[in-house]
Amino acid sequence: MNDQVKRLKIIIMFMLALIPVSRLMAGNIADPIKWILTKECTLKVNGSTNINKFSCIIPEYARPDTLLFYRKKNEPLQLSGSLSLDVQNFDCHNPVMTSDLRKTLKAKIYPRIIIHFLNLSKYPDPDIKEGVLKGAVTIELAGTTKRFEVDYRYITLANGNLRLIGTKQVNFSDFNISPPRKLGGMIKTNNELVVEFLLTMKLNTQ
Amino acid sequence: MKKIILSGIITGAFLFILSYGCLYLGIRFFPTLFIDYNNPLFNSEGNRDGLFYLHAFVISFALSWFWDRFKGLLKGHFILRGFEFGFIYAMVSLLPVMWITFSSLDITIFMVLSWFLYGFAQAVIAGILLGKLNP
Repeated sequence: MNDQVKRLKIIIMFMLALIPVSRLMAGNIADPIKWILTKECTLKVNGSTNINKFSCIIPEYARPDTLLFYRKKNEPLQLSGSLSLDVQNFDCHNPVMTSDLRKTLKAKIYPRIIIHFLNLSKYPDPDIKEGVLKGAVTIELAGTTKRFEVDYRYITLANGNLRLIGTKQVNFSDFNISPPRKLGGMIKTNNELVVEFLLTMKLNTQ
Repeated sequence: MKKIILSGIITGAFLFILSYGCLYLGIRFFPTLFIDYNNPLFNSEGNRDGLFYLHAFVISFALSWFWDRFKGLLKGHFILRGFEFGFIYAMVSLLPVMWITFSSLDITIFMVLSWFLYGFAQAVIAGILLGKLNP
């Protein structure tokens, strides 16, 4: 019995000893850096049919939001935050095509397109004017969420704000959407779409 | 009855090839004329494609029956009879339908005119064929 108590004590002491160690490890994670998404965020979708090309844009972001950058030593930069856009705000520079895209993206049932930012290959260095990065996002569209690796270009603006331009080729089928086809399939929209999101952020110094 | 059905099938096959062939070539060589079809008014899910391609036979059987009833009123050369038949169809059926379509749907005048001419051409060709098949 004494032996069992002794072994139990060892286990408890070992577990207690882990607490300060884990705190020490957590010390590697600095407080998150907060960047505020400004109104100058846009989302552009470029696609084509067998008769024309289209480019549709959500020209501004109405609800400023925050992106949190968690810097960890020797690890990709973790991100937290999202961009939530109203599908009804898509503008294809042609009213008929605009309403067709909204219908295709099932805007009435799924009114928002949400981009969740997961990570970046590194923290964009504000001392470097331009650079390239990679990162992961999930895109939630028409009721389906899918993870993508995105190529980013970043620009440090004169006022210190940061511009991140993410580009990714996606497919309608990634989101369980059938590309629209008209006149018995004689007019067909191609499955591929190029999504480009432009984030303009200012550092939250508070 | 047999003559109506047989004429309808032959005319339908001919119209099918001619109509969809012309439509295909039109989209291929004059794509800008078809941009307005990227419109939510038009079915985009492909679940009615079969019905779309059956149209040539639907119109052919209807015109075959109509021809059989009224061919006695159309005199002269078979080409002239075909044109007159197409004109009657266009005035009696197409014009009122296109009128209400344009007035109620958000489509362009060019689109409605192209449909009118397409239907008129189909009826003329059907009339010429029916004049030969069922004189």
